[in-house]
Amino acid sequence: MKGKIFKSCFALIVIVSLIITGFVLQSFRYKTKSVIGNTISDFTLLNVNGKGISLKEYQKAKGFIIVFTCNHCPFAKLYTNRLNDLNTKFKALDVPLLAVNSMDTVIYEDESFDKMQQRVKSEKFNFPYLHDAKQTVGKNFGADHTPQAYVIWKENNEWKIKYSGAIDNNGEEPQKADPFIANAVNELLKNKKVTNPLTQSVGCKIFYRK
Amino acid sequence: MNKKNIVLCLIISLSAINLSAQYNNLWIPDTLSGINFNLNLVDSFAQLRPGNQTITAGVNNKFWGPTLFFNKGDTVHMFVHSYLNDTTTIHWHGMHLPAVMDGGPHQVIPPGTIWQPYWKVANNASTYWYHPHLHEMTQEQMSKGLGGFIIVRDTQEAALALPRTYGVDDIPLALTSRRYDASNAFVTTNCSYGDYMLTNGTPNAQVSLPKQFVRLRILNAEIERSYNLGFSDNRTFYIISTDGGLLNTPVPVTRVLLAVGERIEIMVDFSNDLLGSSLDLKAYNGGFSLGFPGGEPATTGEFGSLLNNTTFSVLHINIIAATINPISSLPATLANNTYWTAANATVNRTVNVTNGNPNGPPFDFDNTPFVLSNINNTVILNTIEKWTITNNNVFGHTFHIHDVEFKIISRSPGTVAAYEDGWKDVLYLPIGSSATFVAKFDDYADSIHPFMYHCHFSNHEDGGMMGQFVVVNNPTAINEPQQAAKDFSLYPNPSADKLYISLNDPAEEVYYIRINNAVGRTIYMLPRPQFQNGIDISNLSAGVYFLQLTDEKTKITTTKKFVKE
Repeated sequence: MKGKIFKSCFALIVIVSLIITGFVLQSFRYKTKSVIGNTISDFTLLNVNGKGISLKEYQKAKGFIIVFTCNHCPFAKLYTNRLNDLNTKFKALDVPLLAVNSMDTVIYEDESFDKMQQRVKSEKFNFPYLHDAKQTVGKNFGADHTPQAYVIWKENNEWKIKYSGAIDNNGEEPQKADPFIANAVNELLKNKKVTNPLTQSVGCKIFYRK
Repeated sequence: MNKKNIVLCLIISLSAINLSAQYNNLWIPDTLSGINFNLNLVDSFAQLRPGNQTITAGVNNKFWGPTLFFNKGDTVHMFVHSYLNDTTTIHWHGMHLPAVMDGGPHQVIPPGTIWQPYWKVANNASTYWYHPHLHEMTQEQMSKGLGGFIIVRDTQEAALALPRTYGVDDIPLALTSRRYDASNAFVTTNCSYGDYMLTNGTPNAQVSLPKQFVRLRILNAEIERSYNLGFSDNRTFYIISTDGGLLNTPVPVTRVLLAVGERIEIMVDFSNDLLGSSLDLKAYNGGFSLGFPGGEPATTGEFGSLLNNTTFSVLHINIIAATINPISSLPATLANNTYWTAANATVNRTVNVTNGNPNGPPFDFDNTPFVLSNINNTVILNTIEKWTITNNNVFGHTFHIHDVEFKIISRSPGTVAAYEDGWKDVLYLPIGSSATFVAKFDDYADSIHPFMYHCHFSNHEDGGMMGQFVVVNNPTAINEPQQAAKDFSLYPNPSADKLYISLNDPAEEVYYIRINNAVGRTIYMLPRPQFQNGIDISNLSAGVYFLQLTDEKTKITTTKKFVKE
């Protein structure tokens, strides 16, 4: 708990801090239960064109780039062009991109299906934008921020998570970014293990209804 | 060490020096003035360090918000529109106002909602601030950057020859620090201290100040850290104002301790400095004993920080030419405050800091963690009370009380320092000490919405180190027998522009109006609305809405449907 405080023993703090100096950087890193290797069951979600989309429809797909995003988050909005580029490049290699909006539409008016449709038109998405109205898909993936990206890959007819985290590591300056997602997909296409499978997603929190 | 390593070390240390000299110009918050204030709370991001942007929140801005100028005596109307991804509250820190307008943990603003509190400014000229106060979320939301200054002006202060050209010789400084994770996101859990200074949201801030007397309005907007402030040449400067107004006379100091939530206004004389010379406003935070917030020697972990137990710059100052009509002297007297004394108090209360030990419950008051539904104290309107806060515990804290400005009448051990011998709303409570203050709880009674008192370390407050009190007209008012709800009607209905309320009992007073849409989302929160000229609904989209009206006396809520055309 946040307020649980222990400050009475300075000597101990000094000693402990000296001992752990070597692990300092690690302690700053994002800690989460790794979802890498988890199996994702197929889902059907409504696309902005009014039609349901399932993974099984993509019979040739080797994998998918699944991006949890939303309408209002200023950080998520920075990535539209990059998502279009990723989809253009990797759809042709049988790794299409699907964007999913798992935000709570009861609380956040901007996340309504209507507004999703408007955004696809105004920002010219070239990929499906799916409405996770019941928030089940977001929960299955364990998505906690927008934008948060996953790469899932077909193994023995199951979809396995191979990458989870940010799209890249620089929202505003794509030219300076390390393209995490593209790197992961390129490695998977070469039947290689993903070197950097888990990064931290930053942006707007996805609040789940209980 | 071989030659190669020595050269490498030299390069690294030189580049470190070079990096530290990379100052950024201090951001001076925009200003808003008048009587109507539009504050849009937004999620955002900011480039605070190289690499990825940091997820932030701000008010009409990426981080922090505009400085609001109020004139004492004006009735100010706030239009707080939350575009945030989360619920929040906005508390007007230091303002004397009705509890239902206070913006404490009970006045929750859902996403997408407009909250419209208003009040008559009764505070003296001084520096106040606004910030989120949602229980258990305060640290996270304040860390993200929500907040801003309030500067109150009055005739007494205006009559003095003091610097007041905002951004030129009258500079607001919000001091805080942040820790970043590997993705440059703010760390807001298990983190009491930041590692890098942000002064008005600016890393490594520098400012150009004219060669004359300059006024700095300094706020400690930290999570826990206290600042032992002074100038790098140890010059004397003058405290002219505390939290709630001008001191009677300027207090000369070379160092001043500013704890979380406290504000001071200082005057500093640069008239003898050379043009082009530089100095630093620094935190001399090294060498404090156990319990000083930010004195822990650890550099990492929940209670560690790269800035702990050290001296660091909070603002680099470059001296430029004086302005045309500079302030060239310090007024000998500032105010003629008369303060309450212990003899004025008719009620005595004690509050003890408790818990916070290893493996035990977190810090609280009187072994009672904060519970939203639990009123800890009831104060009778117009009472002068004496509160003694005692900290025989394991760490220093700050104590803040809403509604009032108080006068510290004694400290034990020691005495009340001259620089805090004025109107206050936050006091620093060192380990092993107690402080006694006197305050008058006047003007605003409300048996439903309470005021808070709490440690202003937001992590302690989130952990339950908070209590609440209601101010009531008389003790029986709380248990008044239930009365029947009073009826009202809405017209015209449907309406496109304005909605009028017709009360069946013209003597009825309205405590609260909330307008919800058909799916239950709150669109407007209107405490004690001035509805006689109609409620403006022109901005609502067409559809069915529900107006919930709460009666002032009975607090019974009645709901009516209306249609927006």
